[in-house]
Amino acid sequence: MQQSLDTINTKSRQRNNEHIGLRRFIPMPFLLPALVIYAVFALYPMVNALELSFYDWDGVSVERNFVGVQNYIQIFTQDPVFWTAVKNSLIWVFLSLLVPTMVGMLLALALNQRIFGRTSLRAIFYLPAIIASIAVATIWGWMYNPILGVINASLKSLGMNSAIQDWLGDPKIALYSIFVAYVWQSSGVAMVLFLAGLQGVPEELKEAARVDGANNWQIFWHVIIACLRETFIVVIVLTIINSLKVFDLIVGMTSGGPGQSTQVLALWSYTQSFGLHDFGNGMAIAMVLLAITLIIVIPYLIWTSREGSK
Amino acid sequence: MIARLRKADPVIVGLWIALVLVAIIWAAPFVFITLTAFKTRPDLIRTGSFGLPTTLAWENFTTAWDRANLSTTALNSAIIAFTKVPLGLFVSSLAAYALTRMRFRWQKALFLLFALGTMIPVQVALGPLFRLVLNLGLLNNYIGILLPYIAFGVPYQIFILRGFFQNIPRELDEAALMDGASHLDVYRRIILPLATPALAALFILDFVSTWNEFPMALVILQRQEAWTIPLSLQAFQGQFGNNYTEMNAAIVMAILPVIIVYMLFQRYFVSGLVAGAVKG
Repeated sequence: MQQSLDTINTKSRQRNNEHIGLRRFIPMPFLLPALVIYAVFALYPMVNALELSFYDWDGVSVERNFVGVQNYIQIFTQDPVFWTAVKNSLIWVFLSLLVPTMVGMLLALALNQRIFGRTSLRAIFYLPAIIASIAVATIWGWMYNPILGVINASLKSLGMNSAIQDWLGDPKIALYSIFVAYVWQSSGVAMVLFLAGLQGVPEELKEAARVDGANNWQIFWHVIIACLRETFIVVIVLTIINSLKVFDLIVGMTSGGPGQSTQVLALWSYTQSFGLHDFGNGMAIAMVLLAITLIIVIPYLIWTSREGSK
Repeated sequence: MIARLRKADPVIVGLWIALVLVAIIWAAPFVFITLTAFKTRPDLIRTGSFGLPTTLAWENFTTAWDRANLSTTALNSAIIAFTKVPLGLFVSSLAAYALTRMRFRWQKALFLLFALGTMIPVQVALGPLFRLVLNLGLLNNYIGILLPYIAFGVPYQIFILRGFFQNIPRELDEAALMDGASHLDVYRRIILPLATPALAALFILDFVSTWNEFPMALVILQRQEAWTIPLSLQAFQGQFGNNYTEMNAAIVMAILPVIIVYMLFQRYFVSGLVAGAVKG
Protein backbone atom coordinates (compact mmCIF):
# COMPACT_ATOMS: atom_id res chain seq x y z
CA MET A 1 0.00 0.00 0.00
CA GLN A 2 2.66 2.43 1.14
CA GLN A 3 4.85 1.38 -1.70
CA SER A 4 2.22 1.95 -4.35
CA LEU A 5 1.49 5.39 -2.91
CA ASP A 6 5.19 6.16 -3.15
CA THR A 7 5.31 5.16 -6.79
CA ILE A 8 2.33 7.39 -7.50
CA ASN A 9 3.99 10.28 -5.70
CA THR A 10 7.23 9.80 -7.60
CA LYS A 11 5.34 9.60 -10.84
CA SER A 12 3.42 12.76 -10.21
CA ARG A 13 6.58 14.51 -9.06
CA GLN A 14 8.24 13.48 -12.29
CA ARG A 15 5.34 14.85 -14.22
CA ASN A 16 5.49 18.09 -12.26
CA ASN A 17 9.17 18.37 -13.04
CA GLU A 18 8.44 17.88 -16.68
CA HIS A 19 5.82 20.56 -16.42
CA ILE A 20 8.26 23.01 -14.89
CA GLY A 21 10.85 22.22 -17.52
CA LEU A 22 8.38 22.70 -20.35
CA ARG A 23 6.47 25.52 -18.75
CA ARG A 24 8.20 28.15 -20.77
CA PHE A 25 7.12 26.51 -24.02
CA ILE A 26 3.63 25.35 -23.17
CA PRO A 27 1.96 28.76 -23.68
CA MET A 28 3.55 29.14 -27.10
CA PRO A 29 1.16 27.11 -29.26
CA PHE A 30 -1.73 28.92 -27.60
CA LEU A 31 -0.29 32.39 -27.94
CA LEU A 32 1.55 32.23 -31.22
CA PRO A 33 -1.27 32.23 -33.78
CA ALA A 34 -2.89 35.36 -32.37
CA LEU A 35 0.42 37.02 -31.58
CA VAL A 36 1.98 36.41 -34.99
CA ILE A 37 -1.04 37.65 -36.94
CA TYR A 38 -1.42 40.65 -34.63
CA ALA A 39 2.28 41.50 -34.80
CA VAL A 40 2.58 41.15 -38.58
CA PHE A 41 -0.70 42.72 -39.71
CA ALA A 42 -1.38 45.29 -36.99
CA LEU A 43 1.73 46.20 -35.00
CA TYR A 44 4.23 46.06 -37.83
CA PRO A 45 2.20 48.40 -40.09
CA MET A 46 2.00 50.92 -37.26
CA VAL A 47 5.73 50.82 -36.62
CA ASN A 48 6.30 50.90 -40.36
CA ALA A 49 4.12 54.00 -40.57
CA LEU A 50 6.45 55.74 -38.12
CA GLU A 51 9.44 54.76 -40.22
CA LEU A 52 7.85 55.85 -43.49
CA SER A 53 6.95 59.22 -42.02
CA PHE A 54 10.68 60.05 -42.28
CA TYR A 55 10.86 59.29 -46.00
CA ASP A 56 9.88 61.10 -49.14
CA TRP A 57 8.00 58.42 -51.05
CA ASP A 58 5.03 58.13 -53.38
CA GLY A 59 4.10 54.68 -52.07
CA VAL A 60 4.63 53.04 -55.43
CA SER A 61 8.18 53.44 -56.78
CA VAL A 62 11.17 51.42 -55.64
CA GLU A 63 13.14 54.50 -54.70
CA ARG A 64 12.52 56.42 -51.51
CA ASN A 65 14.58 59.11 -49.82
CA PHE A 66 15.21 59.62 -46.15
CA VAL A 67 14.28 63.22 -45.33
CA GLY A 68 14.23 63.20 -41.52
CA VAL A 69 11.49 65.34 -40.03
CA GLN A 70 10.92 67.19 -43.30
CA ASN A 71 7.44 65.70 -43.75
CA TYR A 72 6.43 66.88 -40.31
CA ILE A 73 7.74 70.38 -41.00
CA GLN A 74 5.85 70.33 -44.27
CA ILE A 75 2.50 69.35 -42.81
CA PHE A 76 2.89 71.75 -39.89
CA THR A 77 3.96 74.77 -41.92
CA GLN A 78 2.85 74.34 -45.53
CA ASP A 79 -0.35 72.34 -45.38
CA PRO A 80 -3.40 74.42 -44.46
CA VAL A 81 -5.64 71.37 -44.94
CA PHE A 82 -3.73 69.61 -42.16
CA TRP A 83 -4.75 72.33 -39.74
CA THR A 84 -8.35 72.20 -40.99
CA ALA A 85 -8.24 68.47 -40.32
CA VAL A 86 -6.80 68.97 -36.82
CA LYS A 87 -9.43 71.58 -36.07
CA ASN A 88 -12.28 69.43 -37.42
CA SER A 89 -11.08 66.34 -35.54
CA LEU A 90 -10.99 68.33 -32.31
CA ILE A 91 -14.42 69.87 -32.99
CA TRP A 92 -15.70 66.36 -33.63
CA VAL A 93 -14.25 65.04 -30.36
CA PHE A 94 -15.64 67.98 -28.43
CA LEU A 95 -19.13 67.75 -29.94
CA SER A 96 -19.18 63.97 -29.50
CA LEU A 97 -18.46 64.32 -25.81
CA LEU A 98 -21.31 66.78 -25.59
CA VAL A 99 -24.15 65.63 -27.83
CA PRO A 100 -24.38 61.84 -28.34
CA THR A 101 -23.14 61.27 -24.81
CA MET A 102 -25.83 63.50 -23.35
CA VAL A 103 -28.53 62.09 -25.61
CA GLY A 104 -27.42 58.57 -24.69
CA MET A 105 -27.47 59.36 -20.99
CA LEU A 106 -30.92 60.95 -21.13
CA LEU A 107 -32.28 58.00 -23.08
CA ALA A 108 -30.72 55.60 -20.59
CA LEU A 109 -32.16 57.45 -17.60
CA ALA A 110 -35.61 57.46 -19.20
CA LEU A 111 -35.44 53.83 -20.32
CA ASN A 112 -34.22 52.69 -16.93
CA GLN A 113 -37.74 53.44 -15.64
CA ARG A 114 -40.36 50.74 -15.82
CA ILE A 115 -41.97 51.99 -19.00
CA PHE A 116 -44.29 50.34 -21.49
CA GLY A 117 -42.39 48.93 -24.47
CA ARG A 118 -38.93 49.85 -23.24
CA THR A 119 -37.26 46.85 -24.88
CA SER A 120 -38.54 47.92 -28.30
CA LEU A 121 -37.61 51.54 -27.64
CA ARG A 122 -34.06 50.52 -26.71
CA ALA A 123 -33.87 48.41 -29.86
CA ILE A 124 -34.89 51.37 -32.04
CA PHE A 125 -32.30 53.71 -30.52
CA TYR A 126 -29.53 51.17 -30.89
CA LEU A 127 -30.47 50.10 -34.43
CA PRO A 128 -28.44 52.80 -36.29
CA ALA A 129 -25.30 51.65 -34.47
CA ILE A 130 -25.32 48.23 -36.11
CA ILE A 131 -25.65 49.20 -39.76
CA ALA A 132 -22.57 50.03 -41.84
CA SER A 133 -21.31 53.60 -41.49
CA ILE A 134 -21.20 53.77 -45.25
CA ALA A 135 -24.92 53.00 -45.31
CA VAL A 136 -25.54 55.65 -42.65
CA ALA A 137 -23.67 58.10 -44.88
CA THR A 138 -25.73 57.13 -47.92
CA ILE A 139 -29.00 57.35 -46.01
CA TRP A 140 -28.21 60.83 -44.69
CA GLY A 141 -26.76 61.94 -47.99
CA TRP A 142 -30.16 61.18 -49.48
CA MET A 143 -32.05 62.95 -46.71
CA TYR A 144 -29.80 65.99 -47.16
CA ASN A 145 -30.42 66.04 -50.90
CA PRO A 146 -31.01 69.75 -51.67
CA ILE A 147 -34.14 69.26 -53.77
CA LEU A 148 -35.77 65.90 -53.07
CA GLY A 149 -34.26 65.21 -49.67
CA VAL A 150 -36.67 64.87 -46.79
CA ILE A 151 -35.08 67.62 -44.72
CA ASN A 152 -35.44 70.45 -47.19
CA ALA A 153 -38.79 69.06 -48.31
CA SER A 154 -40.15 69.20 -44.77
CA LEU A 155 -38.77 72.70 -44.23
CA LYS A 156 -40.50 73.77 -47.41
CA SER A 157 -43.83 72.23 -46.47
CA LEU A 158 -43.58 73.90 -43.05
CA GLY A 159 -43.14 77.19 -44.86
CA MET A 160 -39.63 77.70 -43.48
CA ASN A 161 -38.06 78.45 -46.84
CA SER A 162 -35.34 80.57 -45.26
CA ALA A 163 -34.06 77.55 -43.31
CA ILE A 164 -33.48 75.54 -46.49
CA GLN A 165 -29.77 74.83 -46.93
CA ASP A 166 -27.40 72.97 -49.16
CA TRP A 167 -26.55 70.86 -46.11
CA LEU A 168 -23.55 69.03 -47.50
CA GLY A 169 -22.58 71.56 -50.16
CA ASP A 170 -22.08 74.57 -47.94
CA PRO A 171 -18.57 74.54 -46.44
CA LYS A 172 -19.77 76.44 -43.39
CA ILE A 173 -22.24 73.79 -42.26
CA ALA A 174 -21.23 70.55 -44.00
CA LEU A 175 -19.22 69.25 -41.05
CA TYR A 176 -22.12 69.79 -38.67
CA SER A 177 -24.55 68.17 -41.08
CA ILE A 178 -22.39 65.05 -41.09
CA PHE A 179 -22.16 65.26 -37.33
CA VAL A 180 -25.95 65.05 -37.03
CA ALA A 181 -25.79 61.68 -38.78
CA TYR A 182 -23.10 60.67 -36.29
CA VAL A 183 -25.38 61.63 -33.38
CA TRP A 184 -28.08 59.42 -34.88
CA GLN A 185 -25.60 56.59 -35.26
CA SER A 186 -23.73 56.75 -31.97
CA SER A 187 -26.19 57.88 -29.27
CA GLY A 188 -27.49 54.32 -28.92
CA VAL A 189 -24.03 53.07 -28.01
CA ALA A 190 -23.75 55.60 -25.18
CA MET A 191 -27.29 54.69 -24.12
CA VAL A 192 -26.43 51.00 -23.78
CA LEU A 193 -23.29 51.75 -21.78
CA PHE A 194 -25.17 54.06 -19.42
CA LEU A 195 -28.00 51.54 -19.04
CA ALA A 196 -25.46 48.94 -17.97
CA GLY A 197 -23.99 51.43 -15.51
CA LEU A 198 -27.41 52.32 -14.13
CA GLN A 199 -28.20 48.66 -13.51
CA GLY A 200 -25.16 48.59 -11.27
CA VAL A 201 -26.55 51.30 -8.98
CA PRO A 202 -27.76 49.44 -5.88
CA GLU A 203 -31.46 49.92 -5.17
CA GLU A 204 -30.77 49.96 -1.40
CA LEU A 205 -28.58 53.02 -1.80
CA LYS A 206 -31.42 54.96 -3.38
CA GLU A 207 -33.84 53.75 -0.71
CA ALA A 208 -31.41 54.69 2.06
CA ALA A 209 -31.03 58.18 0.62
CA ARG A 210 -34.80 58.52 0.37
CA VAL A 211 -35.23 57.43 4.00
CA ASP A 212 -32.65 60.04 4.97
CA GLY A 213 -34.87 62.67 3.37
CA ALA A 214 -33.12 63.22 0.04
CA ASN A 215 -35.32 64.53 -2.76
CA ASN A 216 -35.31 63.12 -6.30
CA TRP A 217 -32.77 65.62 -7.55
CA GLN A 218 -30.42 64.93 -4.65
CA ILE A 219 -30.75 61.18 -5.23
CA PHE A 220 -29.99 61.67 -8.90
CA TRP A 221 -26.96 63.82 -8.27
CA HIS A 222 -25.40 62.28 -5.17
CA VAL A 223 -26.32 58.63 -5.63
CA ILE A 224 -26.88 57.84 -9.30
CA ILE A 225 -24.31 60.11 -10.89
CA ALA A 226 -21.79 59.28 -8.18
CA CYS A 227 -22.23 55.55 -8.85
CA LEU A 228 -21.75 56.11 -12.59
CA ARG A 229 -18.20 57.44 -12.22
CA GLU A 230 -16.66 54.38 -13.84
CA THR A 231 -19.23 54.35 -16.64
CA PHE A 232 -18.47 57.99 -17.36
CA ILE A 233 -14.77 57.27 -17.75
CA VAL A 234 -15.46 54.36 -20.11
CA VAL A 235 -17.94 56.36 -22.18
CA ILE A 236 -15.64 59.38 -22.42
CA VAL A 237 -12.63 57.36 -23.52
CA LEU A 238 -14.62 55.30 -26.03
CA THR A 239 -16.24 58.46 -27.39
CA ILE A 240 -12.90 60.15 -27.94
CA ILE A 241 -11.38 57.09 -29.59
CA ASN A 242 -14.36 56.56 -31.86
CA SER A 243 -14.42 60.25 -32.79
CA LEU A 244 -10.82 60.11 -33.93
CA LYS A 245 -11.65 57.07 -36.09
CA VAL A 246 -14.46 58.78 -38.00
CA PHE A 247 -13.78 58.06 -41.64
CA ASP A 248 -16.55 56.14 -43.44
CA LEU A 249 -19.21 58.74 -42.70
CA ILE A 250 -17.15 61.54 -44.20
CA VAL A 251 -15.97 59.50 -47.18
CA GLY A 252 -19.57 58.53 -47.85
CA MET A 253 -21.06 61.99 -47.54
CA THR A 254 -18.50 64.56 -48.73
CA SER A 255 -15.10 62.85 -49.20
CA GLY A 256 -13.71 65.73 -47.16
CA GLY A 257 -15.20 68.47 -49.31
CA PRO A 258 -16.48 70.94 -50.25
CA GLY A 259 -13.13 72.65 -50.45
CA GLN A 260 -11.63 70.27 -47.83
CA SER A 261 -13.95 71.84 -45.26
CA THR A 262 -14.87 68.46 -43.76
CA GLN A 263 -11.40 66.92 -43.66
CA VAL A 264 -10.40 65.09 -40.50
CA LEU A 265 -7.01 63.59 -39.60
CA ALA A 266 -7.92 59.98 -40.35
CA LEU A 267 -9.20 60.88 -43.82
CA TRP A 268 -6.49 63.42 -44.67
CA SER A 269 -3.81 60.83 -43.91
CA TYR A 270 -5.56 58.42 -46.28
CA THR A 271 -6.05 61.11 -48.95
CA GLN A 272 -2.39 62.16 -48.84
CA SER A 273 -1.18 58.55 -49.10
CA PHE A 274 -3.60 57.12 -51.62
CA GLY A 275 -5.09 60.11 -53.39
CA LEU A 276 -2.08 62.42 -53.67
CA HIS A 277 0.52 59.62 -53.55
CA ASP A 278 2.51 61.30 -50.82
CA PHE A 279 3.12 58.48 -48.37
CA GLY A 280 5.60 60.54 -46.36
CA ASN A 281 3.08 63.24 -45.53
CA GLY A 282 0.29 60.69 -45.13
CA MET A 283 2.30 58.77 -42.55
CA ALA A 284 3.35 61.94 -40.73
CA ILE A 285 -0.35 62.83 -40.38
CA ALA A 286 -1.04 59.26 -39.21
CA MET A 287 1.60 59.74 -36.52
CA VAL A 288 -0.09 62.92 -35.32
CA LEU A 289 -3.33 60.93 -35.10
CA LEU A 290 -1.53 58.15 -33.24
CA ALA A 291 0.04 60.62 -30.81
CA ILE A 292 -3.32 62.20 -29.99
CA THR A 293 -4.82 58.73 -29.48
CA LEU A 294 -2.00 57.55 -27.22
CA ILE A 295 -2.22 60.65 -25.04
CA ILE A 296 -5.76 59.54 -24.20
CA VAL A 297 -5.36 55.78 -24.27
CA ILE A 298 -2.27 55.22 -22.15
CA PRO A 299 -3.63 56.79 -18.94
CA TYR A 300 -6.85 54.83 -19.53
CA LEU A 301 -5.00 51.53 -19.93
CA ILE A 302 -3.05 52.20 -16.75
CA TRP A 303 -6.33 52.97 -14.98
CA THR A 304 -8.10 49.81 -16.21
CA SER A 305 -5.18 47.52 -15.42
CA ARG A 306 -5.11 48.95 -11.90
CA GLU A 307 -8.88 48.55 -11.49
CA GLY A 308 -8.66 45.03 -12.88
CA SER A 309 -6.03 43.90 -10.40
CA LYS A 310 -7.99 45.21 -7.43
CA MET B 1 -49.25 49.36 -5.02
CA ILE B 2 -46.04 50.96 -6.22
CA ALA B 3 -46.61 49.59 -9.70
CA ARG B 4 -50.08 51.12 -9.82
CA LEU B 5 -48.82 54.47 -8.58
CA ARG B 6 -46.16 54.44 -11.26
CA LYS B 7 -48.70 53.73 -13.92
CA ALA B 8 -50.71 56.78 -12.96
CA ASP B 9 -47.63 58.96 -12.48
CA PRO B 10 -48.01 61.89 -14.92
CA VAL B 11 -44.22 62.31 -15.05
CA ILE B 12 -43.83 58.77 -16.34
CA VAL B 13 -46.62 59.27 -18.87
CA GLY B 14 -45.00 62.48 -20.11
CA LEU B 15 -41.65 60.73 -20.29
CA TRP B 16 -43.18 57.91 -22.27
CA ILE B 17 -44.72 60.30 -24.81
CA ALA B 18 -41.40 62.13 -25.18
CA LEU B 19 -39.57 58.84 -25.69
CA VAL B 20 -42.01 57.67 -28.34
CA LEU B 21 -41.61 60.95 -30.23
CA VAL B 22 -37.82 60.62 -30.16
CA ALA B 23 -38.13 57.00 -31.25
CA ILE B 24 -40.22 58.08 -34.24
CA ILE B 25 -37.50 60.54 -35.24
CA TRP B 26 -34.90 57.81 -34.78
CA ALA B 27 -36.81 55.37 -36.97
CA ALA B 28 -37.76 57.95 -39.60
CA PRO B 29 -34.64 57.58 -41.80
CA PHE B 30 -35.38 53.86 -42.21
CA VAL B 31 -38.93 54.69 -43.22
CA PHE B 32 -37.80 57.28 -45.78
CA ILE B 33 -35.28 55.01 -47.50
CA THR B 34 -37.82 52.19 -47.65
CA LEU B 35 -40.49 54.48 -49.09
CA THR B 36 -38.09 55.83 -51.69
CA ALA B 37 -36.85 52.37 -52.59
CA PHE B 38 -40.36 51.32 -53.61
CA LYS B 39 -41.19 54.33 -55.76
CA THR B 40 -40.88 54.73 -59.48
CA ARG B 41 -38.99 57.79 -60.61
CA PRO B 42 -42.07 59.81 -61.66
CA ASP B 43 -43.70 58.71 -58.44
CA LEU B 44 -40.79 60.12 -56.47
CA ILE B 45 -40.99 63.49 -58.21
CA ARG B 46 -44.75 63.61 -57.68
CA THR B 47 -45.02 62.36 -54.10
CA GLY B 48 -41.76 63.74 -52.74
CA SER B 49 -40.11 62.16 -49.75
CA PHE B 50 -43.12 61.66 -47.51
CA GLY B 51 -45.84 60.21 -49.65
CA LEU B 52 -46.54 56.53 -49.98
CA PRO B 53 -45.57 54.93 -53.29
CA THR B 54 -48.56 54.56 -55.63
CA THR B 55 -47.23 51.28 -56.99
CA LEU B 56 -44.56 49.03 -55.53
CA ALA B 57 -41.57 49.34 -57.85
CA TRP B 58 -39.90 45.99 -57.13
CA GLU B 59 -37.80 46.47 -60.26
CA ASN B 60 -35.72 49.03 -58.35
CA PHE B 61 -34.37 46.15 -56.33
CA THR B 62 -33.52 43.94 -59.26
CA THR B 63 -31.87 46.82 -61.15
CA ALA B 64 -29.91 47.90 -58.09
CA TRP B 65 -28.93 44.30 -57.40
CA ASP B 66 -27.41 44.04 -60.88
CA ARG B 67 -25.84 47.49 -60.98
CA ALA B 68 -24.25 47.16 -57.55
CA ASN B 69 -23.19 43.67 -58.60
CA LEU B 70 -24.60 42.40 -55.34
CA SER B 71 -24.48 38.72 -56.34
CA THR B 72 -20.70 38.96 -56.27
CA THR B 73 -20.23 41.43 -53.43
CA ALA B 74 -22.75 39.78 -51.10
CA LEU B 75 -21.04 36.48 -51.71
CA ASN B 76 -17.64 38.06 -50.98
CA SER B 77 -18.97 39.66 -47.80
CA ALA B 78 -20.49 36.38 -46.67
CA ILE B 79 -17.38 34.31 -47.40
CA ILE B 80 -15.14 36.81 -45.64
CA ALA B 81 -17.38 37.18 -42.58
CA PHE B 82 -18.06 33.46 -42.18
CA THR B 83 -14.35 32.67 -42.41
CA LYS B 84 -12.97 35.58 -40.45
CA VAL B 85 -15.26 35.34 -37.44
CA PRO B 86 -14.69 31.68 -36.46
CA LEU B 87 -10.97 31.84 -37.25
CA GLY B 88 -10.53 35.03 -35.29
CA LEU B 89 -12.46 33.67 -32.32
CA PHE B 90 -10.40 30.49 -32.42
CA VAL B 91 -7.00 32.19 -32.26
CA SER B 92 -8.26 34.78 -29.75
CA SER B 93 -9.71 32.19 -27.43
CA LEU B 94 -6.46 30.20 -27.52
CA ALA B 95 -4.51 33.31 -26.58
CA ALA B 96 -7.03 34.30 -23.91
CA TYR B 97 -6.67 30.80 -22.49
CA ALA B 98 -2.91 31.19 -22.19
CA LEU B 99 -3.31 34.66 -20.70
CA THR B 100 -5.64 33.44 -17.96
CA ARG B 101 -4.71 29.80 -17.35
CA MET B 102 -0.93 29.73 -17.66
CA ARG B 103 1.84 31.64 -15.99
CA PHE B 104 4.73 33.00 -17.99
CA ARG B 105 7.01 35.94 -18.11
CA TRP B 106 5.75 39.21 -19.63
CA GLN B 107 2.20 37.97 -19.27
CA LYS B 108 0.76 41.30 -18.16
CA ALA B 109 2.83 43.24 -20.68
CA LEU B 110 1.64 40.97 -23.45
CA PHE B 111 -1.96 41.54 -22.44
CA LEU B 112 -1.46 45.30 -22.45
CA LEU B 113 0.14 45.04 -25.88
CA PHE B 114 -3.01 43.33 -27.13
CA ALA B 115 -5.28 45.75 -25.28
CA LEU B 116 -3.52 48.67 -26.93
CA GLY B 117 -4.71 47.35 -30.27
CA THR B 118 -8.35 47.88 -29.33
CA MET B 119 -7.84 51.61 -29.28
CA ILE B 120 -5.54 52.57 -32.14
CA PRO B 121 -7.40 53.90 -35.19
CA VAL B 122 -6.88 51.55 -38.12
CA GLN B 123 -6.22 54.55 -40.37
CA VAL B 124 -2.80 54.90 -38.73
CA ALA B 125 -1.79 51.63 -40.37
CA LEU B 126 -3.64 51.77 -43.70
CA GLY B 127 -0.71 52.82 -45.90
CA PRO B 128 1.82 50.26 -44.67
CA LEU B 129 -0.90 47.61 -44.53
CA PHE B 130 -1.59 48.17 -48.20
CA ARG B 131 2.13 47.87 -49.00
CA LEU B 132 2.48 44.73 -46.89
CA VAL B 133 -0.45 42.97 -48.55
CA LEU B 134 0.76 44.15 -51.96
CA ASN B 135 4.24 42.74 -51.32
CA LEU B 136 2.74 39.43 -50.23
CA GLY B 137 0.85 39.35 -53.53
CA LEU B 138 -2.48 39.15 -51.68
CA LEU B 139 -4.30 42.28 -52.88
CA ASN B 140 -7.87 41.57 -54.02
CA ASN B 141 -7.65 38.20 -52.36
CA TYR B 142 -9.68 36.68 -49.52
CA ILE B 143 -6.55 35.81 -47.54
CA GLY B 144 -5.20 39.31 -48.04
CA ILE B 145 -8.20 40.82 -46.28
CA LEU B 146 -8.75 38.02 -43.75
CA LEU B 147 -5.34 38.34 -42.12
CA PRO B 148 -5.61 42.10 -41.38
CA TYR B 149 -9.21 41.61 -40.27
CA ILE B 150 -8.16 38.92 -37.81
CA ALA B 151 -5.21 41.04 -36.66
CA PHE B 152 -7.40 44.04 -35.89
CA GLY B 153 -10.14 41.88 -34.32
CA VAL B 154 -7.89 39.84 -32.04
CA PRO B 155 -7.28 42.59 -29.43
CA TYR B 156 -10.94 43.24 -28.73
CA GLN B 157 -11.78 39.55 -28.59
CA ILE B 158 -8.88 38.70 -26.31
CA PHE B 159 -9.89 41.59 -24.09
CA ILE B 160 -13.42 40.26 -23.66
CA LEU B 161 -12.61 36.55 -23.54
CA ARG B 162 -9.90 37.10 -20.95
CA GLY B 163 -12.43 38.85 -18.74
CA PHE B 164 -14.85 35.98 -19.21
CA PHE B 165 -12.31 33.18 -18.70
CA GLN B 166 -11.12 34.80 -15.48
CA ASN B 167 -14.57 34.28 -14.01
CA ILE B 168 -14.56 30.54 -14.73
CA PRO B 169 -13.53 28.82 -11.46
CA ARG B 170 -10.00 27.51 -11.59
CA GLU B 171 -10.79 24.45 -9.49
CA LEU B 172 -12.36 22.83 -12.54
CA ASP B 173 -9.32 22.92 -14.75
CA GLU B 174 -6.83 22.39 -11.93
CA ALA B 175 -8.59 19.14 -11.09
CA ALA B 176 -8.52 18.10 -14.72
CA LEU B 177 -4.82 18.95 -15.06
CA MET B 178 -4.08 16.91 -11.92
CA ASP B 179 -5.82 13.97 -13.55
CA GLY B 180 -3.42 14.22 -16.43
CA ALA B 181 -5.47 16.24 -18.90
CA SER B 182 -3.48 18.46 -21.22
CA HIS B 183 -4.06 22.18 -21.58
CA LEU B 184 -5.61 21.51 -24.95
CA ASP B 185 -8.12 19.17 -23.29
CA VAL B 186 -8.96 21.77 -20.65
CA TYR B 187 -9.38 24.44 -23.33
CA ARG B 188 -11.60 22.24 -25.45
CA ARG B 189 -13.59 20.34 -22.86
CA ILE B 190 -13.95 22.84 -20.02
CA ILE B 191 -13.27 26.43 -20.96
CA LEU B 192 -14.87 26.63 -24.40
CA PRO B 193 -18.16 24.98 -23.40
CA LEU B 194 -18.46 27.23 -20.36
CA ALA B 195 -17.65 30.31 -22.44
CA THR B 196 -20.38 29.66 -25.00
CA PRO B 197 -22.43 32.77 -24.05
CA ALA B 198 -19.41 35.05 -24.49
CA LEU B 199 -18.41 33.33 -27.72
CA ALA B 200 -21.94 33.68 -29.08
CA ALA B 201 -22.06 37.38 -28.26
CA LEU B 202 -18.66 37.92 -29.85
CA PHE B 203 -19.66 35.93 -32.90
CA ILE B 204 -22.65 38.17 -33.56
CA LEU B 205 -20.85 41.45 -32.83
CA ASP B 206 -17.85 40.46 -34.90
CA PHE B 207 -19.99 39.24 -37.74
CA VAL B 208 -21.70 42.61 -37.99
CA SER B 209 -18.53 44.66 -37.72
CA THR B 210 -16.80 42.49 -40.33
CA TRP B 211 -19.79 42.81 -42.63
CA ASN B 212 -19.70 46.61 -42.20
CA GLU B 213 -15.93 47.16 -42.37
CA PHE B 214 -14.89 49.82 -44.85
CA PRO B 215 -11.39 51.40 -44.58
CA MET B 216 -9.30 48.22 -44.81
CA ALA B 217 -11.46 46.82 -47.58
CA LEU B 218 -11.06 50.12 -49.41
CA VAL B 219 -7.28 49.80 -49.68
CA ILE B 220 -6.97 46.03 -50.03
CA LEU B 221 -9.92 45.06 -52.22
CA GLN B 222 -9.44 47.34 -55.19
CA ARG B 223 -10.79 45.24 -58.02
CA GLN B 224 -14.52 45.18 -58.46
CA GLU B 225 -14.76 41.38 -58.34
CA ALA B 226 -13.24 41.45 -54.87
CA TRP B 227 -15.49 44.15 -53.39
CA THR B 228 -17.58 43.69 -50.29
CA ILE B 229 -21.02 45.23 -49.78
CA PRO B 230 -19.87 48.55 -48.23
CA LEU B 231 -17.49 49.11 -51.15
CA SER B 232 -20.17 48.45 -53.73
CA LEU B 233 -22.61 50.69 -51.90
CA GLN B 234 -20.08 53.52 -51.88
CA ALA B 235 -19.32 52.98 -55.58
CA PHE B 236 -23.01 52.82 -56.42
CA GLN B 237 -23.51 56.16 -54.73
CA GLY B 238 -20.71 57.64 -56.83
CA GLN B 239 -21.87 56.19 -60.13
CA PHE B 240 -25.63 56.02 -59.92
CA GLY B 241 -26.22 58.40 -57.03
CA ASN B 242 -28.77 60.31 -59.07
CA ASN B 243 -30.94 57.25 -59.51
CA TYR B 244 -32.38 57.90 -56.10
CA THR B 245 -34.95 55.14 -56.12
CA GLU B 246 -32.44 52.45 -57.08
CA MET B 247 -29.86 53.81 -54.70
CA ASN B 248 -32.29 53.52 -51.82
CA ALA B 249 -33.15 50.00 -52.92
CA ALA B 250 -29.43 49.23 -52.79
CA ILE B 251 -29.19 50.68 -49.28
CA VAL B 252 -32.15 48.62 -48.10
CA MET B 253 -30.62 45.44 -49.48
CA ALA B 254 -27.22 46.27 -48.01
CA ILE B 255 -28.49 46.81 -44.47
CA LEU B 256 -31.23 44.18 -44.37
CA PRO B 257 -28.97 41.22 -43.46
CA VAL B 258 -27.52 42.95 -40.39
CA ILE B 259 -30.92 44.19 -39.32
CA ILE B 260 -32.25 40.63 -39.45
CA VAL B 261 -29.25 39.39 -37.48
CA TYR B 262 -29.87 42.19 -34.99
CA MET B 263 -33.55 41.35 -34.59
CA LEU B 264 -32.79 37.68 -34.04
CA PHE B 265 -29.91 38.08 -31.62
CA GLN B 266 -30.65 41.40 -29.97
CA ARG B 267 -29.68 40.44 -26.45
CA TYR B 268 -26.22 39.35 -27.54
CA PHE B 269 -25.43 42.79 -28.92
CA VAL B 270 -26.05 44.45 -25.62
CA SER B 271 -24.26 41.85 -23.52
CA GLY B 272 -21.26 41.84 -25.85
CA LEU B 273 -20.97 45.58 -26.01
CA VAL B 274 -21.25 45.98 -22.27
CA ALA B 275 -18.80 43.19 -21.50
CA GLY B 276 -16.26 44.79 -23.78
CA ALA B 277 -16.58 48.24 -22.36
CA VAL B 278 -17.18 47.87 -18.68
CA LYS B 279 -15.28 44.80 -17.58
CA GLY B 280 -11.50 45.32 -17.52
